[in-house]
Amino acid sequence: MAYVSMGEAHRRITEYLNRFCDAVSYQDSSMLCRLLSFSSNSPSLISLADALNVFQDASSLIRQSEKFSEYGEILAHLFRSLQSYRVGNLVEAYLAFDKFANAFVQEFRNWESAWALEALYVVCYEIRILAEKADKELTSNGKSPEKLKAAGSLLMKVFGVLAGKGPKRVGALYVTCQLFKTYFKLGTVNLCRSVIRSIETARIFDFEEFPRRDKVTYMYYTGRLEVFNENFPAADTKLSYALQHCNPRRERNIRMILKYLIPVKLSLGIIPKDELLQKYNLHEYMNVVQALRKGDLRLLRHALQEHEDRFLRSGVYLVLEKLELQVYQRLMKKIYIIQKLSDPARAHQLKLEVIAKALRWLEIDMDLDEVECIMTILIYKNLVKGYLAHKSKVVVLSKQDPFPKLNGKPVSS
Amino acid sequence: MAAEQKATTEEVKMDLFEDDDEFEEFEINEDWVEKEEVKEVGQQWEDDWDDDDVNDDFSLQLRKELETSSADKK
Repeated sequence: MAYVSMGEAHRRITEYLNRFCDAVSYQDSSMLCRLLSFSSNSPSLISLADALNVFQDASSLIRQSEKFSEYGEILAHLFRSLQSYRVGNLVEAYLAFDKFANAFVQEFRNWESAWALEALYVVCYEIRILAEKADKELTSNGKSPEKLKAAGSLLMKVFGVLAGKGPKRVGALYVTCQLFKTYFKLGTVNLCRSVIRSIETARIFDFEEFPRRDKVTYMYYTGRLEVFNENFPAADTKLSYALQHCNPRRERNIRMILKYLIPVKLSLGIIPKDELLQKYNLHEYMNVVQALRKGDLRLLRHALQEHEDRFLRSGVYLVLEKLELQVYQRLMKKIYIIQKLSDPARAHQLKLEVIAKALRWLEIDMDLDEVECIMTILIYKNLVKGYLAHKSKVVVLSKQDPFPKLNGKPVSS
Repeated sequence: MAAEQKATTEEVKMDLFEDDDEFEEFEINEDWVEKEEVKEVGQQWEDDWDDDDVNDDFSLQLRKELETSSADKK
């Protein structure tokens, strides 16, 4: 830390206090944002933090002036947090920031207009990030991490302040997105439900009026939730919305949307073109798509095995595993077409034995009873139209549309 | 005591659930014109890919396999 004289420290602190109070009285939101952005590590915040650590008793400075003492509580907590943050004591920094945030939200609630909405966004973002850092510190000291959970409670409180009627409502979706990030990290995604209900049932506010960046983030997370619930048509709608409206320069975000949208589309019988997989570096889906195109069950199994960890971590493994039935359908269709080439008159009869032979070739060992079982499932799920002649061990295919397409609808359950 | 300690470490692991796919934060003021580019991404899908073509490698091998099986029986 560079040497800071007492006089210099005094000057820096007073300058910050003046800027803060001016930003509030002139309703200069972007100045306020800069003054609160801890994680930006801006030179002016760092030099302020150093000054605070030299001066030590900044609260006496705040008390001395009527102008500063109006926001005395907010500023004192903020300074304490910044001091701890600068020396790397993140748990202390979090605790003080939490007090600052509560005091700030209280003040925000009293402001009639929504002028400070962006500054409130910064507070919400910073508390989440600070909580994550504090939790890392706690874990590395062998203690139980609990700050992110606490930050979730504070964000919920902020949501309550914004969610009512009036001009502040437009900020509710930003806080919702911060809550989603918190809950997804904590693994408590079921807690998203109450905020979603509040957003989606509100008649007083049209969803389209929220800022674009929040709408995209919201649709990404609610889309992922629909994937977990295996509600694929809804997941398709939400993730497609996120994809279409995302900032084209945010390639990482586009890739993340596609990571979930692709399995969803596949389960609806829709496949991505190879260029899309290549452009966004989604090679893990290449073979899955090939398997679907060809009816290659062996390739599907290998692709799932190869990227098992990745698919399990993102939670799409079960979705992809269920594609197997579609791959079976495709394989049956191939067998049917091949039979048609040599014997058109009897092509619509699929012998179980022939199917078993094809499966053996694909390294799947099944006896005729098991093959019959699979065919029964395919017929039941309307992936194959026809009936089973049990005695003659033959599937007799319908002459009309024996392999119905999904047409954007999920396989019936 | 040892068992208790073990229980806490497990709990810690649970709490530290990582989300690999956390959406990148947009800037507070970030807004953009929705350009053609991303709209195009939305069109890079095929719902009518299911053709009757059996001339790909996989189909040719499958055909060979099925034909030897019927030949075996004769």
